[in-house]
Amino acid sequence: MTLVKTVLGHPVLRFLARRVLYSLVVLFGVLVLVFALVHLVPGDPVRIALGTRYTPEAYDALRSESGLDRPLVAQFFSYAGSAATGDLGVSFRNGDPVTLTLADRLPATLSLAAVGILIALVISLPAGIWAGLRRGRLADAIVRVCSQFGVSVPDFWMGILLIGLFASTLGWLPTSGYAPLAANPGGWLRHVILPGVTVGVVAAAIMTRYVRAAVLDVASMAYVRTAKSKGLPPRVVTLRHIVRNALVPVLTITGIQLATILGGVIVVEVVFAWPGLGRLVYQAVATRDYPVIQGAVLLIATMFLLINLAVDMLYAMVDPRIRLS
Amino acid sequence: MRGRAVAVGIVLALCLTACSPGRRVDLGDEAAGNLVAAIAGEPDQLDPQKTTAYFSFEVLENVFDTLVEPDEDLEMRPALAESWEVSPDQLAWTFHLRNGVTFHDGSPLSAADVVYSFNRIINEKLSNAYKFSSVSSVTELGPDTVRITVTQPTPNLLTNIGGFKGMAIVSRKNVESGQIATHPIGTGPFMFAGAKSGDSIRLKANPRYWGGAPAVSGVTFRFISEPSTALSALQAGEIDWTDSVPTQRVDELGGDESVRLGVTPSTDYWYLALNEARAPWGDVRVRQAIAYAIDRGAIVQATSYGTATANQLAIPTGSPWYTEYHRYRRDLDMAQSLLRATTLTDQTLDMLVTSDYPETVTTAQILADNLKPLGINVEIRTVDFAAWLDEQNKGNFDMLMMGWLGNIDPDDFYYAQHHTGGKSNAQKFSNPEVDELLDAGRTEVNRDARKDIYAKAATIIADQVSYIYLYNPSVIQAWTTRLSGYQTRQDGAIRFRTARLN
Repeated sequence: MTLVKTVLGHPVLRFLARRVLYSLVVLFGVLVLVFALVHLVPGDPVRIALGTRYTPEAYDALRSESGLDRPLVAQFFSYAGSAATGDLGVSFRNGDPVTLTLADRLPATLSLAAVGILIALVISLPAGIWAGLRRGRLADAIVRVCSQFGVSVPDFWMGILLIGLFASTLGWLPTSGYAPLAANPGGWLRHVILPGVTVGVVAAAIMTRYVRAAVLDVASMAYVRTAKSKGLPPRVVTLRHIVRNALVPVLTITGIQLATILGGVIVVEVVFAWPGLGRLVYQAVATRDYPVIQGAVLLIATMFLLINLAVDMLYAMVDPRIRLS
Repeated sequence: MRGRAVAVGIVLALCLTACSPGRRVDLGDEAAGNLVAAIAGEPDQLDPQKTTAYFSFEVLENVFDTLVEPDEDLEMRPALAESWEVSPDQLAWTFHLRNGVTFHDGSPLSAADVVYSFNRIINEKLSNAYKFSSVSSVTELGPDTVRITVTQPTPNLLTNIGGFKGMAIVSRKNVESGQIATHPIGTGPFMFAGAKSGDSIRLKANPRYWGGAPAVSGVTFRFISEPSTALSALQAGEIDWTDSVPTQRVDELGGDESVRLGVTPSTDYWYLALNEARAPWGDVRVRQAIAYAIDRGAIVQATSYGTATANQLAIPTGSPWYTEYHRYRRDLDMAQSLLRATTLTDQTLDMLVTSDYPETVTTAQILADNLKPLGINVEIRTVDFAAWLDEQNKGNFDMLMMGWLGNIDPDDFYYAQHHTGGKSNAQKFSNPEVDELLDAGRTEVNRDARKDIYAKAATIIADQVSYIYLYNPSVIQAWTTRLSGYQTRQDGAIRFRTARLN
């Protein structure tokens, strides 16, 4: 009991315990919702598995083999029960355990997300800060035009252009595909650059606007004026007073962008034949492979929750005025 | 902008340090010398008797065998069965198996495996069970002999049991261990060697293949669904073969010395069907009016950039079963005079199409334009294929467009689609004369007489507008000049058994 008390006594741990509990509730809600949705959407997994020419007997046989002839409520509880123990069922199509399939796809998705968000930060932080400090001047205009352009460029088009230039014409990088980081770090890097840049540039265009807006906001604060008027060198004002305080909204948008990329960037994955979660979900939806759809959505929801949690904890680190509560 | 310039600089630096001159994807395994083939999607599963996905068959064509198989002219030839005979009453077929054939796990092929494979399709009511509709039993007469007994003469039995790899001979052990969907064991020229989810499947050459060991060490199938990426990968030398070719670039590729292009008219066909259970489409004059209003040439051009061949019946020119038929051409006067005899005015038409087959969406747009002068307002309803199947099954449509793939025998082309109550007769066409002809075609063993029967049936089907046939698409593939011993086939089967890489 004392241990529990000590643990719960620590504010960070108390915060964590509450968040984990809250996350479980959210995940259960997601489970109910996705289960209801996949069954409500028109389209029958059995029919699509059998194609266009089959007998009614074949239909019934496959339907009962997949357990789809049972009442929906019974299907839900047996699914939820095994999901709670980490068993996400098996794919309707090939009988593979969904957990293994997701584990297969996760590294590619994590690689793309990590590289993409890194590139986005490397571009958007300097560009956004630079533009924000020079509001209304040429630099600001250039950054805003570029970021508008980046937001409007379709990612598949940029992907195809990058392939055309760096893979087909220059031959520097492979057009498509993926190599695992652990087995082949060089191959991993070469394969991840083009899709990473595609994802990163789109995210950077969005994030640059937020960084710029945050910097503008903070730069007009009274304490910045005070800092300037008490004669602090501009660099100190920028780094210590403006950038640090602008980081909170930047963290938020970075978290959202990262979660979006983790949830699957289908178009980029298709263009670069990238074996990520996005294509898996897309294919599972096309074939109404319910267990795979449900498992993938649960995984993506979990990643969202984890990122949210991480962002909340980073807020407190960046800005001590924010308390974990 | 300095930020972006810095980032680009970092990327370039990373790339320059990481790039080696070799352009091949180094997968870090024994697949290095493989032929690399890019297909447009991932197989859903690798059990040949259960999958219905073309992507699966592209791979499995190289892993499994059937008793007999179609040659390049789609005539059935010996495969696992070396020879066969039919009893004089046409009711018993006896197949003699090739000697010394082994499965990839080393176990010998025997008549019991054939019996097991066929009975699995029949007893488990798999989707291809209808191919055995006239079969009453499959039995083992000896270790190398199989007897198939039929209830009526079945001239297309060979096509039914060997037309495609859905009728493959499988290993009982492989099925019963539950491994076949992910680790298939066949008797074919290549053995399954591994798969990376979402990325690729590796096969390695079967040195004991009864047709002689393949010349390449293996085949790696990569899944590249974006055609422009696949083409770039081919031009960059990362892959050796692809069937994911953008049709709008076929002309340009024809003049490209660095790539070989295979364009072969296929036995697939695309059609329109009007729901005859719904007024006013049950009236043949309305259907004919629509058939006369359609600009087939424009549809072919828009959907395939001219690579397909317009056809008013299902079976393509070049097939021994081809029938001449040219009744329809765009003729609005004819269409309008047909409609004047009916009560149809200001009609809307619910056209069901699916974005999973973009040609149906493109065609619907042309059709909307084609039918406007007739006072028919086409409302295009686009759904995904799973929902499309549901709607078709429930009869929730006025018109739809779809294609049939991989047909060989005329029975495949016409029976299920046009016989009263046929399994694929979603348009609810019913014509006693057609029923009689299609039934007769199933049992007529004289080939010339059989051809006449189907010519008559097909003519009525088109005259009565059960389907409005549009075109036969082409099989379009591209490969490196290093690849020899490969040709595109009209049934779209991908056979790498004789392929060679220089």
